[in-house]
Amino acid sequence: MKHSAVTPLKLIISGPVGAGKTTFVSTLSEDPVVNSDEQTTEEIGKTHTTVALDFGRFVLQGRPLHLFGTPGQSRFDFMWEILSEGALGLLLLVAGDRPADFPQALSILRFITSRNPMPFIIAVTRQDSKGAWGPEKIAGYFAVPTTRVIGIDARNAQSSLGAVTCLLSLIEGSTSGNSRNPFHSTSHSTSNSNVKEST
Amino acid sequence: MSKQEQIQVVLAGLNAAVPEIKGSLLASLDGMPIAYALKVGTVDPARIAAMTATALSVGKRTSESLGAGTLQEVHFAGTEGRIFVYTVAGRAALTVVTPMDTNVGLIGLEARDMVNKLLAII
Repeated sequence: MKHSAVTPLKLIISGPVGAGKTTFVSTLSEDPVVNSDEQTTEEIGKTHTTVALDFGRFVLQGRPLHLFGTPGQSRFDFMWEILSEGALGLLLLVAGDRPADFPQALSILRFITSRNPMPFIIAVTRQDSKGAWGPEKIAGYFAVPTTRVIGIDARNAQSSLGAVTCLLSLIEGSTSGNSRNPFHSTSHSTSNSNVKEST
Repeated sequence: MSKQEQIQVVLAGLNAAVPEIKGSLLASLDGMPIAYALKVGTVDPARIAAMTATALSVGKRTSESLGAGTLQEVHFAGTEGRIFVYTVAGRAALTVVTPMDTNVGLIGLEARDMVNKLLAII
């Protein structure tokens, strides 16, 4: 029996609670998504939350893509670590209308990229919400180039695909040289301790 | 007695019934600790709660996908010890940490008994 020789590209989808990670993976996946929603016992503005992972896959221009969505809460930071192993890129979802969650998004970004340096794109969701921050303002907050930030609707396949395409071209561009990841840190934290704010 | 105190009593009862138990913890399915009786002081209850919620969720999914039906429990065996995670009516998770050479049969009996007691409380 012959299997496809094409190795799937592993991408990690992370971000704070309610950013739209589960929706994003469900929107793009061609198979039924393997998810891990459980009923919440906290006030987080929704009834269910991811406690392990969301796994979805699809084929883009002949290349199989595997999407791994993480939980958003810091108590699940061990899953951020596990799921980012071997990932080629990170898509950080941030709800544009929840500025209170931006520090958490920044923590996740630092946590993942300091352990496993990889190219990342920030996708800003909930753009249709009144008063939502746009991509440019978000780029300013995260101190990253505006080319790294894209506004999306995680419920829309075309829009979500745009974020993946954007990340893929960044990955292709970075494989030849060193990653210009501004959060790349040489001090490697090995413990499971909480996110350290590096300055 | 508050619910939390009642749960605490059940957990302490379990630890007393099988003295080698290093600790037991009841967590919500989204990984928040509800109550715990831990002898292993170095372990953070919040961490155990989150990890067991993840393990249970993956176990549930695996069990259903591989035709093993509704998940009842998950076991971990390490070189130094064992960890048992039981579902409490699909509403909470009971985690029991033991040394390697524990009486697995007894743990199973006692833990099931405790699950029934916890069911009556929560």
